[in-house]
Amino acid sequence: MSELIDTLKVQIIEQLNLQHLKPEDIGDDQPLFVEGLGLDSIDALELIVLLQQKYGIKLANPQDGPLVFKTVKSIADYITEHKK
Amino acid sequence: MTLYINGIGCISPQHTFDNSVFLPEVKEYATNRLACVDADYAKFFDAGSLRRMGRLMKYGTAAGMIALRDAGIDVPGAITTGTALGLPEVSQKFLRSLIEVEETIVSPTTFIQSTHNTVSSNIALLCKCFSHNNTFSHKGFSFESALTDAQLLTLENTDNILVGAYDEVSDYKYAAMKKTNELRQEPCSNLDIYGAQNKGILAGEGAAFFVLSKEKNENSYGSFIGNKTFYKPENKGEIRNHILSFLQENHSSMEEIDVIITGISGAKEVDETRIELNKNLFTTQTILAYKHLCGEYMTSSAFAFWLASKILKSQQIPDAVILENRNRSPKNILLYNSHKHNHSLMLFKAC
Repeated sequence: MSELIDTLKVQIIEQLNLQHLKPEDIGDDQPLFVEGLGLDSIDALELIVLLQQKYGIKLANPQDGPLVFKTVKSIADYITEHKK
Repeated sequence: MTLYINGIGCISPQHTFDNSVFLPEVKEYATNRLACVDADYAKFFDAGSLRRMGRLMKYGTAAGMIALRDAGIDVPGAITTGTALGLPEVSQKFLRSLIEVEETIVSPTTFIQSTHNTVSSNIALLCKCFSHNNTFSHKGFSFESALTDAQLLTLENTDNILVGAYDEVSDYKYAAMKKTNELRQEPCSNLDIYGAQNKGILAGEGAAFFVLSKEKNENSYGSFIGNKTFYKPENKGEIRNHILSFLQENHSSMEEIDVIITGISGAKEVDETRIELNKNLFTTQTILAYKHLCGEYMTSSAFAFWLASKILKSQQIPDAVILENRNRSPKNILLYNSHKHNHSLMLFKAC
């Protein structure tokens, strides 16, 4: 899990072009949206693309998005649960 | 229809984004590809927006915002722009990723920014301008079409129109220009391109925006009197006739013109006609050139529009742009530009 979280942080920085951040700047449980990293709805789309491209996972129910993308750890949990 | 130039913004391969100075130094390039000198974009966009923006998106939008700030206008009456190639760098990135993922799912950011009207719509979003917003993509007539659009909008009672143009040299475009032998052979200097034996052009890029208004004010740079385009003239006589009739239509004459800004590119094979006009028609005017500063691209006439605006307001002509000095006070300026078969004329007057 820890390895997946570290990989995810690098991938998120690259996919969202968060050049001002380093992986260690993102806490495992830090909220990604609004008050956390300040991500927005376009970033949510980018994260959906990341999940599909890198892990072959489609978000089955878009309404799950806010929970799945809440933190890096919640994304890692979702990947672990759904990875084929 | 006379329109006053009440605000300008230009980002180019020279230091042009600061309106308080006028070409304080000329940037020399030792390559045939001239790239924009970036402004401090953090002054224009929040970090969240900035990280998503492609290069042209940044300098195009910033140039528009500089012009609005310069004019003291929060929301323009309309936005009309010209771009020959849109945002090729981002578009190509989007298309490449579409191929890589076998047309399944691609990044929304590159998709959003891959349309030609991305810059004008981004400016509209930033300044909350919900009025007319148009982008013309007509190769070497793109900026000229936007200017005509602005003039027509004025007739419909729209005022304080933001008009501009933007283009970039993408890696793909540059590679294509190299393959077709359009470019100057390297090594070369942009400060030495008008020699008689030179061949090939410098690839250029840039963005320039203007606020055009019906009324002049204390910030006015000058007035834009009119423009004209003509395609693939058959001979030098036809070009000459277009120039003289354009001046006549705008109640002017060659004798009244003090300064000619010529779109001479430095390539012997395409400049021949313009050099002859310089010798035979523009005999008493100060003749300027600008493509050694910004390179050749299809909307470079917008850079020349910026140059004319700065000259009219400052009443000074930087040595770096003078081809032939006849020591005339720059009150009336004629711009004659051409890109391949697209020829255009613009007329400016001091306030």
